[in-house]
Amino acid sequence: MAHCERASKPLLQCLRNTYSRGIAGTQLQTRAFQSTASVKEAEAEAPSQPFHKAPDPSLVTSPRLERRLLRQGTAPIGSRRRRAALQDSANIPFEQLPYQCFQEARKVLLADREEKLKEIETMRQRLARQEALSVEEAGGEKAKKSRVTAMQLHLERLKILADINDPLVKRNFEDGEGDMSKPIYRFLADRKWREYRRKILVQRITQMKVIPDVLPHCDPVVDTRMYFGKRQVQAGEYVDARASTSAPKLDIQLFEGGEKLVTIAIVDPDIPNVETNSFDYKTHFLAVNVPISATSTKVDLSQLLEDSQVVLPWLPPVAQKGSPYHRLSVFIMEQKNSRPLNFEAIKTKETSRDVTLRTLQASYHLKAIGAHLFRTQWDDTTLEVMKEIGFDGASVELRRARVEPLPYKRRNPSSFR
Amino acid sequence: MKSLSPALASLANVFRVPMSMAPARPSVSRVCHEILRQQQKPGPVTAALQASSFSTTSAMAKRKSGGSTTDKRITMIRYFLHHPLTPRPLRFSRNRYLRHWTIHRAWQLFQAQQRRKQELELMRQYQSMQEACEELRTGAGDGGKLFRVSMNKKGIFTEMFPIEYARMQTDSPPAEGWNYDWKKPERR
Repeated sequence: MAHCERASKPLLQCLRNTYSRGIAGTQLQTRAFQSTASVKEAEAEAPSQPFHKAPDPSLVTSPRLERRLLRQGTAPIGSRRRRAALQDSANIPFEQLPYQCFQEARKVLLADREEKLKEIETMRQRLARQEALSVEEAGGEKAKKSRVTAMQLHLERLKILADINDPLVKRNFEDGEGDMSKPIYRFLADRKWREYRRKILVQRITQMKVIPDVLPHCDPVVDTRMYFGKRQVQAGEYVDARASTSAPKLDIQLFEGGEKLVTIAIVDPDIPNVETNSFDYKTHFLAVNVPISATSTKVDLSQLLEDSQVVLPWLPPVAQKGSPYHRLSVFIMEQKNSRPLNFEAIKTKETSRDVTLRTLQASYHLKAIGAHLFRTQWDDTTLEVMKEIGFDGASVELRRARVEPLPYKRRNPSSFR
Repeated sequence: MKSLSPALASLANVFRVPMSMAPARPSVSRVCHEILRQQQKPGPVTAALQASSFSTTSAMAKRKSGGSTTDKRITMIRYFLHHPLTPRPLRFSRNRYLRHWTIHRAWQLFQAQQRRKQELELMRQYQSMQEACEELRTGAGDGGKLFRVSMNKKGIFTEMFPIEYARMQTDSPPAEGWNYDWKKPERR
């Protein structure tokens, strides 16, 4: 204990002696970066109890007090060395740290932010003026629309540029505390998703040929995670038949502002058909008019409304013994202009589970914005699940038909004898 | 067996040399030299086999029968990477990294602003020059004759300044100063 306290002393003394006046001076101007969240002000209330009676988990260093805290159920925060250093530090907020180059850099960034905010303001006014113009004044419907769209794009870009150099924004995002209702955090999350997770997803759905098999094309723009119970399923993972008896939960992260209505479909393109010697499609789940937005991401497929959203309820996927693995592909499809579809009409029309997703997509003007994938195959629990759901081919084991080799490939054709 | 210094021990470890055989501390240049000399020189057969200029693997080494031989370049990399005198990688604490990042972003932003300013200045100068030319062409009242004459490039690259004006660029002025008596020699 004494060791770490000694180690943290010299730096702190140096800080306190040299910079105490400088810190007081910077206190006023350093608030400028933050628009919403406020710095936690110094705790003014004096501790009523001595420290050894109620030890603070972020400051405690003596092993005895640590042990007592642990027995009470709160773990001390950080390393003991860090806690010792914090004990008599001035607890300076990050943006007021007295490093000259850092403070100069912050001045540059703040000036740039001010400029960007001004630009945003003027851009807003210009956009409002452009939108207020009548079609004749703007020179045609098309010209007006393109100009307004370009201005909106520029405005979005400016909003991101205003905040992207803020170290606190970066820190919040890295801590996972980003507020998804703000464009900057959505931008950062999107960038992070595209760096790795989206690449994996696209690779899985193209390598496993979901893309040309189920839908001709899909450009994922929403991050989708899937959970069976509490377990997260990676794209393309095998899922036990027992685990997938109940509908999965989805976590659909939208990276744009506003709310969208989506259709969620889970399609299996690998139902073996013995008569035609090929494979059929089967829709395991279909729900329409599901609202998602950047902040409300959780969609529990078993909690969706029966009377206004679920068209085809969840059918547990099972793979017959001997059949190749089944690819259960999840598609999140945006409805046109985010307008709700007529649930009653769809419910009466789409009663069959054999309709392909391409047909649905064409007839309801859907656009795939997200995808996910899991696989299922014959395992120990499949037979029970088949009996539970009344699957009629439970006792059948599929075998490959023997293909007679071509005459010139035969080992011992009659011509040899 | 006498005990070796930790530096030597790590060297011996890198080159997979038994400790007792390691000599006194080798200098870097000698180590490189020895390793490169140890490298098998391609005989006439090998040299002939290695026809492809893109491959860095010799053709005989590519054969499966050769067994696994460690690449000398990899040994060199390992040597320098694990050398005790190689500085450790730069590691920052979180706050320090964030401060570093802030400063870096500010510097990038500042440079971008400067570049933008210079570009705009150049554009302004070019446009003002163009405007002046246009004014000369249309506003001088002589049907653009002055403009045409001034745009004439005749003799620009042939009748240059006299070669005597030229001087090597130096950091300091010439020792004898300015020669005020110099006159342009008469052209014959």
